[in-house]
Amino acid sequence: MNLTTARGMKSEIYAPVTPPPVWAPLTKPLKECRVAFLTAGGIHLKTQKPFNLAGDYTFREIPSDTPSSELMCSHGGFDNSDINKDVNAMFPIDRLRELVKEGFIGSLSPVFVGFMGGGGNVDKFREESGPAIAEILKKEKTDIAILTGGCGTCHRSATIVQRAVEAVGIATIIIAALPPIAKQQGAPRIAAAHVPIGSNAGEPNNKEMQTAILKDSLNAMTKMEHFGEMIMLPYEYRHNV
Amino acid sequence: MSITKESANQHKNDPAIVCCRTTKGTVISPSDLEDPAILPDLEESGLVTIPENVLKIGQVIGAKLLKDIDGLTPITADLLEGIIEEKKEKSNVENGGNKVEKVSGNKEATFSGGFVRLSVDQMNGVNLEFPVEVLNSGLIKASSQAPAGKVEKIEDETVNTLKRREFAVKKVELGKETSFKNGVLVIREALCKEALKADPLTKKIEMDIITPDNRHQYSNTIMDVIPIAAKVEGGLGNGITNIMNDVVFILTGLDENGLQVHEFGSCEGYLDEKISYGKPGCPDQKDIMVRVHVTIAANTGMERRGPYAAHKACDVIIQEIREVLKKASASEAVKEEVCNEVVRHGRPRVVLVKEIMGQGAMHDNVMLPTEPAGVLGGRQNVDLGNVPVVLSANEVRDGGIHALTCIGPASKEDTRHYFREPLLEAMANDEEINLVGVVFIGSPQVNDEKTFVAKRLGTLAGTMNIEGAIVTTEGFGNNHIDFALNIEEIGKRGINVVGVTYAAYQGQLVVGNQYMDAMIEVNKDAGGFESEILGENTICPEDADRAVLMLKTKMAGIPIEAADRKWDNAVIQANQKLVK
Repeated sequence: MNLTTARGMKSEIYAPVTPPPVWAPLTKPLKECRVAFLTAGGIHLKTQKPFNLAGDYTFREIPSDTPSSELMCSHGGFDNSDINKDVNAMFPIDRLRELVKEGFIGSLSPVFVGFMGGGGNVDKFREESGPAIAEILKKEKTDIAILTGGCGTCHRSATIVQRAVEAVGIATIIIAALPPIAKQQGAPRIAAAHVPIGSNAGEPNNKEMQTAILKDSLNAMTKMEHFGEMIMLPYEYRHNV
Repeated sequence: MSITKESANQHKNDPAIVCCRTTKGTVISPSDLEDPAILPDLEESGLVTIPENVLKIGQVIGAKLLKDIDGLTPITADLLEGIIEEKKEKSNVENGGNKVEKVSGNKEATFSGGFVRLSVDQMNGVNLEFPVEVLNSGLIKASSQAPAGKVEKIEDETVNTLKRREFAVKKVELGKETSFKNGVLVIREALCKEALKADPLTKKIEMDIITPDNRHQYSNTIMDVIPIAAKVEGGLGNGITNIMNDVVFILTGLDENGLQVHEFGSCEGYLDEKISYGKPGCPDQKDIMVRVHVTIAANTGMERRGPYAAHKACDVIIQEIREVLKKASASEAVKEEVCNEVVRHGRPRVVLVKEIMGQGAMHDNVMLPTEPAGVLGGRQNVDLGNVPVVLSANEVRDGGIHALTCIGPASKEDTRHYFREPLLEAMANDEEINLVGVVFIGSPQVNDEKTFVAKRLGTLAGTMNIEGAIVTTEGFGNNHIDFALNIEEIGKRGINVVGVTYAAYQGQLVVGNQYMDAMIEVNKDAGGFESEILGENTICPEDADRAVLMLKTKMAGIPIEAADRKWDNAVIQANQKLVK
């Protein structure tokens, strides 16, 4: 029996390749750097308009002195229970303030940024939101931006924003729960711990792990020399949903 | 980014462009060159313009650079000393030689496995034709997993049967006692209260009936569409199942704060506008809908326990209907269908791989419940670690999957979708192939686990002695990592793979690999978006036909053309035309 076949069939979906490099060297020691944190994981102030869960390219400015109790998550792409327990699992704002106090980093950018990268409109992030966020950070004289993704398409959106920020001369690193996406989408620097999406920055209420992930990522930035470098971090957390 | 020596060899005829700033005196090596695979991207973004006189990679390796050049500069003859002369292969190029790389003929049905591969470095005007029968004549000994030259007879062997009795439902009403007589289904209203006991997180349950002529009604987001079916004899996948036609349950949910139990958008809105009627996972135009609306505890909508509680409560209501359906007399059935599970000896063994969500919250599925499309008695793939689990075709047809994932409504597969999965039917009913089973594999939350389960799938596929596989995934985003890994793990074992997913514009793939060269797009939205219309971007029979044809074409060794860089519906329509 012969197989029914057809000549001239064409594959219907493009499998992507990595975009061109973008790179801004880190030129200062960490303790002199002004650091910003960005997340695509849907974090915003409780008083701000929640994100449209169907896809949203807008972003929310979050003052870096905001108490973590005033933050919340609007994101349906992953189990929210870890963030509901401790927002630092996605957006480690308390940990960063501690790092300043400790003298590990110089200061915090007055403005952090939250957006919801899930299902996001790629062109809008690339052409509008990414450059707008980069401009804000540049105005605040930011030296380093650290990002977290969230879900799968969040990692894509986060990497698009990361590249826009790197392109204006700010050194960036993404703390990725899904490093293959960050890598494929062209993240300049990647740190990856063994954590589930939803607690990308470390186990909720585990101050040691969250601090270590931040410190290791920042230290890695001082050593990374090439576009696309990735470091695996030795922290593991399994979320029993 | 620099390339490796192997890559340089593979791309020796592609343009040579330096990846980074390169200084005078450098002897060009692969590590100085940009990856040709990303040149189209670089050109598109305007970073590189490739001149006509650019040298090829094969010409520049080992040559010395005469001056400093910036990154992404195309290498031309004026920049180098010691260029390797291009070998003139005039006759080849002009006659279209070098195009033939392999000739495969492994699909004669009387010959199980085995292939002939002809590698051609230079070929000039050769037209190679020979009857495929030569494969069976013993002239060519082929080696494969099957013993060489062994003839397997073409015959069908029925190994299992499932009888489905369908009962027409003309009317559904709420009443004092659940009953099913003369086509009228009465559902006991008090069940709404009793079903609260199913889980302490369920706070309130409401139920109403929506007839086909009264569809312009507001609805909260639809979490699931569930058929009513009950085992009369045997277990899931065999014996007898009674099914109610023309009626279907829809489950909707809110939490106590009024938040929709949903994720990437919801299909809340008017029922006549927010459902792609007739899709495998949707109500049909003529269906009566029994709507169960569950309110769950505040803030549990995005945690695994919340949506699961709603599904359990709904199942309690359906179970009472199943009990009366079991007693329906066979003589009242409007249709009796026998689903045979057939081993098609002598034809290529193929498998269907269904990737399902496995990340908690509403990203979970119940596998193999006691009753068709039920909840109780089943195991959730998250609890099983998302490892691949094989179901028979009849187990799937008999409601072996209860989906907890009907959110991101346009591209997710709900319970009714699995109950009548068109790709399964297309593969099971195709007499040219031998469907050996359906593998369900979860998409884990942790990246390391994604690799773990994909490798298990690859090993499983390797032991199944299959020649082809179709891999599908619902939704988009992080599950596309699993999708890419799963295709790679199967593909690298020499098994032909076709991938099926929604990607289009909004869901465009976030990762890719060389084995993803035969892909089927299931998008139906004009703009390529996750449209928030229930079931719109799920697999329908036309998609299934294209996927099966593409798999058979690939198995026959006929090339599938490479995809365009951007989603274009015209490509899909052109493929559709090739389906007879």
